[in-house]
Amino acid sequence: MLVTKYLAELCSLLIDDLYGELPSRIFAALLLRGRSSLPELCNYTSMSARQLRHGLAVLHQHNLLFYQVDSYNGVATYEANAEHAYNLIRAGKILEMIDTSFGAPAKDVMQSLLLSGQTRIGDLVAAYQDKIDHVNKAAKAVKDETSEWDEPNGTTDETVAEKRPDLAVKSTNQLNAVICRLVEAELIDVVHSKTFQTSFDIYKAVEKEVMDTHFPGGPRGGKAKVELQQKVAEGLRKVRDESKSLKRKLDQNGTQAKRRKLLFSGGPSNGVKDEHEEADSDPVLDSKQVIRINYEKCLVDLRNRRLVQFATDMIGPTTAYVYGVFLGLLTKRVSRCRLDPEIDITEDDSQGRGYVTTDEILDNLKTSIDLSLGLGKAPRTEISSKAAEKILEDPPKKRRFIEEAEVDGNASADESDDEGGSDTDHSDSDHDHKGPATNGTKVKFADSAKEQRLDRPALLRQHLLLLAESTQRFVRHCGHNDWTVDFVPLMRTMRESELDVVIERTSGREGLRLVRILRSKGKLDEKALPNVALMRKAEIQQKMLEMQTAGFVDIQEVPRDNKADVKKSFFLWFCDSDRSLRRLLDNSYKTMLRCIQVLEVLRQKDKDVLMLTKRSDVRGQEKDVMEKVYYDRYSRFLANEKKLFAQIMRIDDLVSLIRDY
Amino acid sequence: MSRGGRGGGRGGRGGGGGRTIGANQTPFQVAADIVFDGKPSELFPKYDVPLAPALSKKDERQVSYFLLFREQCHDGPLYTQARTWTQGLGKTQRTYGQDQINSRYGQTSKATVDPFLAVPTYSQKFIQPERTLPDLESRPFAKEFFPPELHATLDGDDGPANKRRRTGPKSLALSHITSLRTAEELFLPEGQQSYDKALQVLDTIEKIGEDLGFLSGEDDDDWVKHRDEDDDGDANPEEDNDEYDDESGDDYNAEQYFEGGDDDDDYGDDDDGGAGEF
Repeated sequence: MLVTKYLAELCSLLIDDLYGELPSRIFAALLLRGRSSLPELCNYTSMSARQLRHGLAVLHQHNLLFYQVDSYNGVATYEANAEHAYNLIRAGKILEMIDTSFGAPAKDVMQSLLLSGQTRIGDLVAAYQDKIDHVNKAAKAVKDETSEWDEPNGTTDETVAEKRPDLAVKSTNQLNAVICRLVEAELIDVVHSKTFQTSFDIYKAVEKEVMDTHFPGGPRGGKAKVELQQKVAEGLRKVRDESKSLKRKLDQNGTQAKRRKLLFSGGPSNGVKDEHEEADSDPVLDSKQVIRINYEKCLVDLRNRRLVQFATDMIGPTTAYVYGVFLGLLTKRVSRCRLDPEIDITEDDSQGRGYVTTDEILDNLKTSIDLSLGLGKAPRTEISSKAAEKILEDPPKKRRFIEEAEVDGNASADESDDEGGSDTDHSDSDHDHKGPATNGTKVKFADSAKEQRLDRPALLRQHLLLLAESTQRFVRHCGHNDWTVDFVPLMRTMRESELDVVIERTSGREGLRLVRILRSKGKLDEKALPNVALMRKAEIQQKMLEMQTAGFVDIQEVPRDNKADVKKSFFLWFCDSDRSLRRLLDNSYKTMLRCIQVLEVLRQKDKDVLMLTKRSDVRGQEKDVMEKVYYDRYSRFLANEKKLFAQIMRIDDLVSLIRDY
Repeated sequence: MSRGGRGGGRGGRGGGGGRTIGANQTPFQVAADIVFDGKPSELFPKYDVPLAPALSKKDERQVSYFLLFREQCHDGPLYTQARTWTQGLGKTQRTYGQDQINSRYGQTSKATVDPFLAVPTYSQKFIQPERTLPDLESRPFAKEFFPPELHATLDGDDGPANKRRRTGPKSLALSHITSLRTAEELFLPEGQQSYDKALQVLDTIEKIGEDLGFLSGEDDDDWVKHRDEDDDGDANPEEDNDEYDDESGDDYNAEQYFEGGDDDDDYGDDDDGGAGEF
């Protein structure tokens, strides 16, 4: 990850906000200076070695460091893990995501993990046991008291009843089950000996090992080099998969399917009885293992949510729901959003098959969802089932810039082509029969409820086809009943549309129009642009300059001859989306940084009030204890803080789309 | 209207309208057809301030989870004090070089203390002392994943030799991880309206605390024990409040004369009430 100045500042401020000043200072120094050892850090920060050791320990506990121990003199060098530091801002999102998809107990466990950093399972279990015992004892004491004294104390009883469900994880068995679930979902992974090495160090070590064993004399010739690369990739993958060891072990137990069934039947927040059954089938995890949160997989899930949101905006809630279920199934085996170019050079077998069948989706849909919603009705004659059910087996080729216009032309021709007799059309006659039939039933589905239920697979199919047909290409129909998603082009489309929104907000519709023209035409001469855009020259010039300042378009000067006479040379406008996105990214970091700084100023302003609220006799009962003027100021501050963090998280949506998805 | 000569343009101020520029009014050459608008620019031109849309329910939840997470972090043993250089906020933000950055920190020495708050008052006993160093010895670590040079620090052996405090098994402190959840009960995700509920919860907790105190009276209750532990930690806040440069250990420290243990003990020992922690 490229760490710009603003990102570095943002990361250290985030750490300051969450973990305090000491780690933040060290982190900032590490980001600024790069890999350094303890004495070097002493020199940079002019702190004592004792403080540094404490700060480094905290940073390391929260997974914010890489380190490498020199095998000769035993001196460790540290490096900042900016990615994890940035991910701190996503804590709220991740917790919310886990809360909705795995239920409150999982969220509680995840939160504990986030709080304590890398944790031994045994320690976590013991901590939960403590908490459970404590609550039970307290509840028992209160109960005893009420029965003994026989007070008509209704409130206490009520609160006892209230208090019990407050505890998200009720037993260590349940805790074990929850951890198993999260490990299976890859949201938690295992810390191993190489976790805290930078990817570069790991690469070097693996390369050296491969060189030593397979190519002692160095690789000769192109073939050997390719082989070397593959061997290294294999080694790297092995290292990477080490963190999944716990998951593999769970998978081997073979109880997964059974457990999953239970989980789905009961829903995430099922009763205690169900949980016991569930917990029984889980193996007890090795308490020596050290676990931590796996941000990569969290990002995959967040991306799914984002896509579902996008589909909701573009198509409709029911279709988006179907899409969400489908994505959940598809990405079960996807452990990261972006493939590593060094590791994933060959076809990855571990990902398994990259498609989901219609039946699988149908099995996982909730029966309470009415699939007939959100589908339009069209007379049978107006639907070309051939075109609609067209199967695209291969992922779309990466379009080259010059060909772009042509491909677009083709696509539109296909859509208008009702006969659909192209070569890639794999639909068989059997299929053809089915198409009109489903359409026919769809038109009169309101006749009876029974018929509607029979229709469910067909309705689901309609939704999926709708997704496949959309201009965003949410889904690719890759086999008769198989569906898949091409994430790379889809994400590119999303990024582009996000960039378009930004352009429209900053330079208006004309600006967006000009950018789109440039995108489709490539580089355009300054003089040709007014003709193409059908706008006046002065207007265009002003708009283009404005957009150049904002970084959306740029100009290139091409001299006509050797003399490079300015008056004679061409000036070509062009628009480089990648560059604008990079710039947008850095601007986003800057905006987030400013938000945190504004928050700090606000804190400074209301310092007296905040100090008051930190007092242990005020905390938690601010409204009663504080004076109204003070309380108003406090609540205003809280509202502002909330807004600022919400803004930061919204900008993070943009950042993650551009950088991570 | 064209004026020759240096400074001639000044007379025309307020005249309004565009005017062309004389040939030698500017140091650079100006094209003849450029017309300057002589009007003074508006002091406060209209500006469309973009307003962020209101928070959706999902946003609210995310933010409140994040804030809760932050609150719990601050409650934890690894949190160190908030920034010390906030005094510099009003001053220049720009720094040149690491030395200047370093000099911004650590300004809360006894010399920079706020005179209005320095006089000891009763209510100060409710203010929790901030740590300058994390409390590493209170929780277990997976030491095999730490570089060897940090192991002693993790054990709490780092520091002046005569300052070694807690000894014994570490499992005692485990509850620290979960004791953070007090914040959760108080700051329920609903935000503002949750205060009433939080109050209720608080009352129960208080009640429970009292009940445990006189009902069972058992000392081996680990909740009570845990609180004792905490008080131990609070009773010697002068250790925690040490400034960054406390390598020197027990050297003569003139400032300790004012902040000596006596005063602090008066505060610390009273802190046995049930509500103290929450």
